[in-house]
Formats: sequence, structure tokens, C-alpha cells
Amino acid sequence: MARDDSMYWNPITETMPREKLRELQIKKFKRIFEWAYNNSPFYRNLYKAAGIEPGDIKTYEDIKKVPKIDKGMLRDVQSRPPFPYGDMLAVPLSQVTEFRQTSGTTGTPVYQADTWQDWDWWAESWAYILYAQGYRDTDRFFIPFGYNIFVAFWAAHYAGEKLGCEVVPGGVLDTEARIMKMQELKCTAFGATPTYVLGMADTARKMGIDPRSIGIQRITCAGEPGASIPTTKKRIEEAWGAKVYDHIGATEIGAWSYMCLAQRGLHVNEAFFLVEIEDTETGEIIEEPMKNGKMVITAFDRLAKPCIRFDSKDVIRWADYDCECGRTFRLIDGGVVGRADDITKVKGVLLAPTAIEEVVRSFNELSDEYEVIVTKKGDIDEITLKIEIKPEFEKQQPDILNRLKDELRVKTNLGYKIEVHPYESLPRYALKAKRFKDLRGDH
Amino acid sequence: MATEYKVNEMAEKIAQIRKLAEELDEMCGGIQAVKKNIVRLLSSTKMLELNISDVKDLV
Repeated sequence: MARDDSMYWNPITETMPREKLRELQIKKFKRIFEWAYNNSPFYRNLYKAAGIEPGDIKTYEDIKKVPKIDKGMLRDVQSRPPFPYGDMLAVPLSQVTEFRQTSGTTGTPVYQADTWQDWDWWAESWAYILYAQGYRDTDRFFIPFGYNIFVAFWAAHYAGEKLGCEVVPGGVLDTEARIMKMQELKCTAFGATPTYVLGMADTARKMGIDPRSIGIQRITCAGEPGASIPTTKKRIEEAWGAKVYDHIGATEIGAWSYMCLAQRGLHVNEAFFLVEIEDTETGEIIEEPMKNGKMVITAFDRLAKPCIRFDSKDVIRWADYDCECGRTFRLIDGGVVGRADDITKVKGVLLAPTAIEEVVRSFNELSDEYEVIVTKKGDIDEITLKIEIKPEFEKQQPDILNRLKDELRVKTNLGYKIEVHPYESLPRYALKAKRFKDLRGDH
Repeated sequence: MATEYKVNEMAEKIAQIRKLAEELDEMCGGIQAVKKNIVRLLSSTKMLELNISDVKDLV
């Protein structure tokens, strides 16, 4: 059967044979390495100290010799002059046209500089994502995001314009006003964090509007792993009557992966990024599928503040299946399954917060919100799970709690103290939720 | 069978766009309305290079 190239943003890069893709990656890694070495004092010093220079990278294996960077280094470099990016910039400050910063979920925000070309590259990366998810010039694309110093959906806006979508910026509107505007304009698509997408559905229902009646056909989620957690994704799709697609990106990296129409795993845009998965114990690069490790990522074409072998601490795994869409870009399974600094030992058992979310969201009787708090009493770890039961199911509380405890035990091998909180009393989040709190301090 | 694309010819045209834009930049006498729009033109050109020129020797 003939391949339908109209389904790809770029059929040449997205369907390249794997061996050619690897050649492209080596070529592009050499280029960004040389750029950073020649133009960024931070990178030059890092590489000189490691005794590596342009010309030393000849093969894919050589890439592993290049020192990694991490968020701590990015914070450290920006704390030193020149203000505000330290000596990491690889272009004159006069060429920087964009400032963004990370959300600060894991500590001091990291400042990010981009030139206009970098910003165009952000939009191009997002164009791959939106096109793969079925966005076309017939879409009216609503963006219910605060348009502030976080990169979040900024580049999705520019990519939507690039595709020819009619982009509706939902900036400073509150949630109710956003829903009314989406309904009035008959928007066909929108993008937000899974938490906020679920919260919007809740708000719509309180306004007497069935979210399914608005006519949304596709939703792009980002910022949290929810859209790759089957029970959360199902909850969102049922609430909105729309297809939900995950995307993963980061301020200091770029928009590096996307779910396509097949909705199975996320493709890594390997023409723009090199993703390596590192075994957290041995440091070896993992090539085999379904083995968790932390992501080390390189953005090949970001020039102002290059991102080369960035240890993101995101835990991911290669999929053991191919995608029916025909893209040769490799798939990761289950999105970001955790963070190397989140996946923690509780009572001697490795716990990933996403596993708890998968269980909680599988209970239709529970609201969308929950909180997990790990504490230590004496020498004993204790996990408290705070939940809300929907009002119509309150009488079934004992049965719900028993089933929930059993399911959590099966999925995580741990016991939980469950606290039932009044409906709608737990914190609601518009951007990234902070539902997992480890208060043990010295663990 | 997939469409056969004229990748080399496209890459050549993209190189010509870059050359023309750079020549325009040199001859504009510092007119900001030209220089700053050329920054944008060259950024778009770069996106064409990432999508086409970078892969011309590989397909």
C-alpha cells in the first residue's frame, strides 16, 4: 500500500531509515558540539577540562565521552556573571530575543535565552507535534495558558500559526471565561496540562455545560505525565469526547517528543534531538526496550544556550513496539514514567508517583485530585494518600477504600494511610501540579 | 511507494535564498527595516535547511 506522505510534517526526516537517521544525528552532534566549544565559554571550559575537543567526535560511541550537564550546573552558571545567563551564552546578548524560565518545580528556576532563530526552531519542533496529532489549517486552536515567563504553550501558539490554524490566545481569562469563549467560537482543539484539562471539564459541568458539547476534537497535553497514564487519558477523553495526545518538552531542552494519531507511545523527534537513556546504576547507555533509565538529551539546533548531553533526571524507557504511522522516529513507552529524583525508596520499595496516579484515576468514584505525602515516624516510612470521593459515591466509602488499598498494594507493593477529604477541598492547579511530597528530609 | 523528492535541487534553492538574503543584508546600508527582517528571513531559511539541506546527502 502506498504511503500517504500528507500525514507527515516532513516525510523525509520522519520516515528516514534508522541507519540514515543515526548518520544524521552524528553529523548534527558534531556540529552543535563544535558550535558550543567555539562560542560558549562555559562549554569550552567544561570540554577542555575533560580533554575533549572538536575532531574527537567521530562515531556514535564517541558521544558518550562528552561530559553531561545537569540542572544544578545551569543554576550555578547563572549565579555567576555576566548577568543573567553566566558564561553559557554562545551568541552576543544583543542577539537574544526571548527570555523564559523553568517553573521551579524542582528548585531555583533556570533562565533560558533564545535568539529569534532558536524561537523559530521551537515553533518548528512544535509543528512536528501538532501536525502529527492531526492539527490542520481548518482547526481553531484555543490556548488556555497565561502567556507568561514559562515557555509552556508559547511555542505551540507559534506552531499553530505556522500550520495555518486559527489560534485563539486564552491569556488572562479565568477558567469560566475560557470555556465560554471556546464554546462561542466552536474551537476544535486546545492544549494544557492534564490537571488543568480535567479542571476545565469540572468547571464546565458546574456552569451547566457538558464539555462534550463544545466540539473539541483533539487535546494536546504537556507539562505532566497524565496523558500517557492510561486511566488519566481515558478520564480526559471521556470528559471532553476528544482524542488526547501527549507531548513532552522542557524549557531548557525544547519540544522533543510527541504522540501521533496512533496514540501509542511517544515519538522522539530524532532529527532535532538525540535521546540517550542511561542506566542509573551502571551509567551504561540502554538500547534495549522496556528498561527504565534516566534521559540524557541533546538539542542539535539550539544555538544561544546550547543543550548538550543534559541529564534531565526524567525516567523513560524505549518501547518494545513499532508505530503503525510509519514514522521511523523511535518510540518511548508510557511517557516520562518518573523522575530520578522522585522515584524514591519507601519502606525499601522503589515508588514512582505515576503508579499511584494510575490507580487513583482508575476509580470513577474519586475526584481528579489527590495528594501523596511520605513522612517518617521514628525509623518507619509512612505514605499518606489524600483523596476526595465524589458526593454521589460517599455512602460507598468503606468499599471504595478497601478496593483502593488492595489495588495500591498490587500496583506498588506498599501500604497506604488513606485520608478522605471533603469534595473539592484539595488544592487545584492551573499549571504543573505538586501532588507528591516527600517530607522525610534525610532519606 | 513513497514520493520521490528533489532533495538536492531543493537544497540548492535554499542555499540561493540564504546567499541572496546575506547579499541584501550587506547592501542595505544599515536600514533597520531591512536588517531586522533579514534576521527573520534567515531564521526561516535555517528551518528549511534543518528540514531539507541537512539530509540531502543521506537520502
